[in-house]
Amino acid sequence: MADSPRLSHTSAMILQAIDAGHIYGYTVMEVTGLPSGTVYPALRRMERDQLIRSKWERQSIADAELRPSRKYYKLSRSGEAALEASRKRYPLLAKLASKEGVANR
Amino acid sequence: MKSEWLHYSILRAASLLAPGNQRAEWVQEWQSELWYIRPRQATLFCLGSFRDAFWLRRNNPNPVKRTGIHLDSPLSCLALLATLAAVSLCIAVCLPAQDAIAPVRAGDLPRGCVSMLVFSWLLIPATVAVGWAPASRYRTPWHRRLCRGIFLALKIALIHPLMFCAFVALGPITPVFILACILALRWVFADQRRRCPVCLRLLTKPVRIGTPSQTFLEWYGAESTCSRGHGLLHTSEISASYAQKSQWLCLDGSWSGLFSAAANSAAKSGR
Repeated sequence: MADSPRLSHTSAMILQAIDAGHIYGYTVMEVTGLPSGTVYPALRRMERDQLIRSKWERQSIADAELRPSRKYYKLSRSGEAALEASRKRYPLLAKLASKEGVANR
Repeated sequence: MKSEWLHYSILRAASLLAPGNQRAEWVQEWQSELWYIRPRQATLFCLGSFRDAFWLRRNNPNPVKRTGIHLDSPLSCLALLATLAAVSLCIAVCLPAQDAIAPVRAGDLPRGCVSMLVFSWLLIPATVAVGWAPASRYRTPWHRRLCRGIFLALKIALIHPLMFCAFVALGPITPVFILACILALRWVFADQRRRCPVCLRLLTKPVRIGTPSQTFLEWYGAESTCSRGHGLLHTSEISASYAQKSQWLCLDGSWSGLFSAAANSAAKSGR
């Protein structure tokens, strides 16, 4: 606990959203209600701090669906630990987005 | 269609803030996300890109080396000032006549520059940054001091055509003109203090030393190095009785190997 970084509420919300399956920048914006000018710099900061990892989806997938390929984000191990610590700090965080909710969409 | 053009223009404008080595990927990410945005939200979404690009610029782990004008060496500094002086004199001649100032002819230029020199002497007390050579335990040879003096004199001489051009452009002496002159003179003296007394190159690699809690037992401030290894400049954060001037620490020849290796590696990396 002492070693895990203490996240701001915004960062914790974004991590929770990614953990819940909202893996794209825009979907994180939608679920958290945060503006793009907050979400994207926060994503970059967390990637720099190795809490999340980003990857471009394969071009063939995007081409098959006639849309541009997107960059998606995933939690790293340290990101999962940080999120777990944040859930204790912000008990209502888990209500923000749930994995079941994403699965039903 | 019109709004699409607007959104792409906003992203293009914001991309200028992003570091060049990451710009292409940055634009690709924002443009691909834009494809998914509802049209009503797109403008607001794109405006957020400025903040993201600015963050990326400030936190770029591999900043691209500066390719602009370098004022490190005294010759490049004087060359730039001479170019600016020539351009400003041309502008002063070409500018249309103001109400209170007669049109400037080429023959008026020397007289105008001399009058600016007299005017700048009046402003010197206002340039708080006036500071002479840093204190040193070692006496700098006379020819080095002469070079330093000539360099300062040339900088002052070359700044006056710029001041004259500002005078012609802005009209009679206005607060803006006086402020611009004070700033120009401040720069001349501040630049002089940031240069190595031996080779007159700008000092590099400033490092913070000490903490404010050490005020009583130690000094705290910044230490800059001459890239050629001539010495170190200690600049105290707070002026104290024992450190009113910056202290120049001369390095002897035994340090030259260290600095030549650094200079070679810098040259190889394309500086």
